[in-house]
Amino acid sequence: MKRRYTIIVFTENNFGLLNRITIIFSRRRTNIESLTVSETERKGISRFTIVIDYDENKIQKLIQQIRKIIGVLFVFHNEDEQVFYGQIAYYKVATENLQEREEVMAIAHRHQARVAYSAEEYIIIEKTGKKEDVITMLHLLEPHGLLEFVKSGRIALVKDQYRFSQYAKNIGPEGWYSDEEFHELKDPERSAGVSY
Amino acid sequence: MALVTEKAVKKLYDHPLHHDHEAENILIKETDQVVSGSEAVILSLIEEGVDTIFGYPGGAIMPIYDALFHHREQLNHVLVRHEQGATHAAEGYAQMAKKPGVCFATSGPGATNLVTGIADAMLDSVPIVCITGQVAEPYLGTDAFQETDVMSLAMPITKWCYQIANPDEIPYIIAKAFYIAQSGRPGPVLVDITKDAQFKNMSIPFTYEKRKQIKGYKPASAPREKDIVKAAEILSTAQRPFLFAGHGILLSEAQEQLKTFVEKTGIPVASTLLGLSAFPSEHPLYVGMLGMHGNYGPNILTNQADVIVAVGMRFDDRVTGNLERYAKQAKVIHIDIDHAEIGKNVPAEVGIIADAKAALTELIEKVEERQHDDWLAEFAKCHEEEYQKVIQHDFTAEAERIKMGEVVRMLSEKTNGEGVIVADVGQHQMSAARYSKFNKTDSWLTSGGLGTMGYALPSALGAKMGAPDRDIYAIIGDGCFQMTIQELGTIAQTGQPVKIIVMNNNYLGMVRQWQELFFDNRYSFVELTNPDFITIARGFGIDGHRCSHADDLSTSLDTLINSEKSYLLEMMVEKETNVFPMVPSGAGVDQIRLE
Repeated sequence: MKRRYTIIVFTENNFGLLNRITIIFSRRRTNIESLTVSETERKGISRFTIVIDYDENKIQKLIQQIRKIIGVLFVFHNEDEQVFYGQIAYYKVATENLQEREEVMAIAHRHQARVAYSAEEYIIIEKTGKKEDVITMLHLLEPHGLLEFVKSGRIALVKDQYRFSQYAKNIGPEGWYSDEEFHELKDPERSAGVSY
Repeated sequence: MALVTEKAVKKLYDHPLHHDHEAENILIKETDQVVSGSEAVILSLIEEGVDTIFGYPGGAIMPIYDALFHHREQLNHVLVRHEQGATHAAEGYAQMAKKPGVCFATSGPGATNLVTGIADAMLDSVPIVCITGQVAEPYLGTDAFQETDVMSLAMPITKWCYQIANPDEIPYIIAKAFYIAQSGRPGPVLVDITKDAQFKNMSIPFTYEKRKQIKGYKPASAPREKDIVKAAEILSTAQRPFLFAGHGILLSEAQEQLKTFVEKTGIPVASTLLGLSAFPSEHPLYVGMLGMHGNYGPNILTNQADVIVAVGMRFDDRVTGNLERYAKQAKVIHIDIDHAEIGKNVPAEVGIIADAKAALTELIEKVEERQHDDWLAEFAKCHEEEYQKVIQHDFTAEAERIKMGEVVRMLSEKTNGEGVIVADVGQHQMSAARYSKFNKTDSWLTSGGLGTMGYALPSALGAKMGAPDRDIYAIIGDGCFQMTIQELGTIAQTGQPVKIIVMNNNYLGMVRQWQELFFDNRYSFVELTNPDFITIARGFGIDGHRCSHADDLSTSLDTLINSEKSYLLEMMVEKETNVFPMVPSGAGVDQIRLE
């Protein structure tokens, strides 16, 4: 059965790595629902957040293939309830007169969005949240004349701090996992049903 | 000569692409000299212990070839006739010399011609380092003359690849390339160097340090004790254990450990196609080859074993057949250095992520001495059946035309199973694999995973150069031969003695066999009208003769074996024979057909 997974990958910041990682998906004819890459708080280390719908029996094999790439520091896969996640969206809404502008601003206010920018003929509303929140807002604003809309890919934090820190503690200039951690990470016994 | 401050070095490694903090510790000696990028490439290769390069020059790699000219005494460059030949020769060299093979090629067509060989090395885990020239950095992405996006081409088929546009990176990246190619599960790496990076001087002195580790990459080393104990426990109660020896045995040089292990535990050994010669064929515990055209016993009894110990093999689909019918009853102990292989195709009861040698060494300590005579007798029974129905017919010619099996058997006999057999791809490959006897390790090279026709001729040359004291016999089909026939020129120019047997049946035999068995005898474009191979070989300066009659087989092989120089023996083999046994595509290993 297919499930939604949020895959978090930490890598060195080398060019070409994005390509190497996406090949893993394209080779299996898997569509990436969303992909966000940026540098972490540690210089030279990037964080990928990849959302895919994938067969639960095969996800572990896919993760192993990503883990194998040289330059990948570590990989997690998570189901939705294991992560706190969201995305950001911008809505450019036409506001022909003051009354309309106030209406739009009121909608934004009611839905915990804010006015990020305003020009003479339009204002830009910024909204963060889950996909459903962002889409609801879109439907509310559409009648007012939506000029442009964009939303980002998903970003996510792992809820279980212990689980995260077990694997995250070793990135940094010092190097890599100890031998024991290496086997823990790659233990096939753990793979069944366990996401790490 | 230029003195460079430590600051300059630091600046380089502060570059966002270089977050390797070990690199900062490189100390600069005042005696170090500043060299050009191309000189740095050559010096790096020398530092790495390279002595042989297979390559083909061209526009974008000319500065490197110019630097190579200075060092031609130290580095033996073999000018191939096509870049694909360079990759296969490097593969043959790497496997015999036990160190990475090196290829040079230019940008554009030079690099694209490498692709087949690189993919071949990737699937068969052969360490090769390819260095390609690239157009100068300002021309990248402009569709310049002979520009191709080599990085994107190489990415899915290399273990690692990197493009250098700054000469200062050269020693560091080449050291990394060699480390990655040969450590862990070996594989091909590609380093693409822009022409301006070859021309420019390094801004820092040349220093070279072999790598022992890099960030973001940690190959497995020692097995975990817990896994070893569990594996030994399973083996202690096994009634019908079965061991599969793969290429990993040869790669980690664990032949002795394998022998000790099975002799102690009494487990019968079968080999994969690439694992051949890791275990002596005459050993009482050796039961034959696995796979689609493997031996009858190993295939059929896979589904009766209660424990399978798979060492350094990856349960390729040519070994397993239909996975739904494969070894469901067996507990699998899978030893592999690549964690992604464990459980990939066949679920493992115990996965030991380690070097085969390290894992077997520890297992030997933990296992009990046992014997499995009844179980072994079943293999003998299967062998008897296979001998009656298949093998004896493969050895006796029915008419004038020669049988491939007989050629291989006789060659093996005459060379006492000590020659290195390099087989191409197809029916002759399967005959060579089935009927060669191996008394010496590292005596078998072939293209297994990718099934690259044209592999054998260049690979045989590389093998000879990697192991000059061994006799190399290339067994090649008439179709395969014409895919890389131009490498006869390379062989002639190097003067290396390579013994070539062309099994000529005027057909693409394996495809024809499938058309006969599964496509109602509709022989669609498989018949070859061949040129006169002997005349062609003579044109290249290689002597040879044609053997058309079974009665002349023995003397013909003697001529080949005793020849001091390269020699081509064309065997006119039976036109339409099929390789059996066979596990038809999509069938289970227990559905193997003997006829």
